[in-house]
Amino acid sequence: MSTPPTPSTPPTPSTPPTPSALPSPVESFTSPHKVDYTFVAGTGRSAFLRGLQERRLLARRCPTCERVYLPAPEFCSRCLAELSEPFELAGTGVVKTFCVVNFPFPGQMIDPPYLVAYIQVDGADTTLMHLVRDVEPADVHIGLRVEPVWCAEEDLDTSMNSIRYYRPVAGGSDA
Amino acid sequence: MTAEPPDASLTAPYSIEFPYNRTVGEKIGTFLGGLRDGELYGVRTASGAVLCPALEFDPATAAPTGELVRLTPSGTVTHWTWVPTRPGDDIEADHFAWALIAIDGTEGALFHAVDTGGDPSRLTAGLRVAPRWRADRVGSIRDIVCFEPVEA
Repeated sequence: MSTPPTPSTPPTPSTPPTPSALPSPVESFTSPHKVDYTFVAGTGRSAFLRGLQERRLLARRCPTCERVYLPAPEFCSRCLAELSEPFELAGTGVVKTFCVVNFPFPGQMIDPPYLVAYIQVDGADTTLMHLVRDVEPADVHIGLRVEPVWCAEEDLDTSMNSIRYYRPVAGGSDA
Repeated sequence: MTAEPPDASLTAPYSIEFPYNRTVGEKIGTFLGGLRDGELYGVRTASGAVLCPALEFDPATAAPTGELVRLTPSGTVTHWTWVPTRPGDDIEADHFAWALIAIDGTEGALFHAVDTGGDPSRLTAGLRVAPRWRADRVGSIRDIVCFEPVEA
């Protein structure tokens, strides 16, 4: 299997090179870091993702501490108790925090500026991250009431992309 | 779509990539330029020692390092670990070792692969090795395919 050793030139004694003998320096090199992997959603989050395909937001409650997870894992991260059967939430929610993305970066899918927010869906104790659109960034604030804008029927998938984005609830008051 | 159980876990292929580009500095740049020319270079510190691989600053004193020194391209394995070949590796043996190699006449150690033709019994601390150079070199540590044993 091995390749024969390359015949090496006889060792040459170290000679102090004159400056002109030095190799011309390399200035930079690319150092890309890439990881290909398989994301495994787990049975809990898979139920949430399958709900998205039907325009349903499925949450689960911890039987011990009452915490409602959306998206929900299989077990409560605090109590380690198995969470309840999934139940549906209406979908409206509140901006808990947000960030306006102004910077372009490699692989960016959306033209900046755009706004990404943590949204606490009504009835849930956790937040999910999504875009907030149909609003001037300057008009977005913590407490803004928002609702999901779903994909067209044919684009629905077991993916967060089934929600295109969130937008302010028309005439909605702050939470 | 498929006959998977309704509660089976969903999976999806993901890929994450950081397209870094880094500048290397004058001394390391010359070290890499040497690799492109099929030569191994070290750098001299104020104490008179030669470091290989070359560094911009002496790790002992933090002072800038001095002149570059062309080295005899041979060395001694000081530490090694045996690994299976992974996808993308171009060492033809089924297995090889990652090793720390003290280049003759230098301080420090160069981290590189050692190919013993898939035979781990040939690897010992103290094994004498020399680089196997790539034919088309670009000024990268990969201009050395690997190190391989040399007869004493």
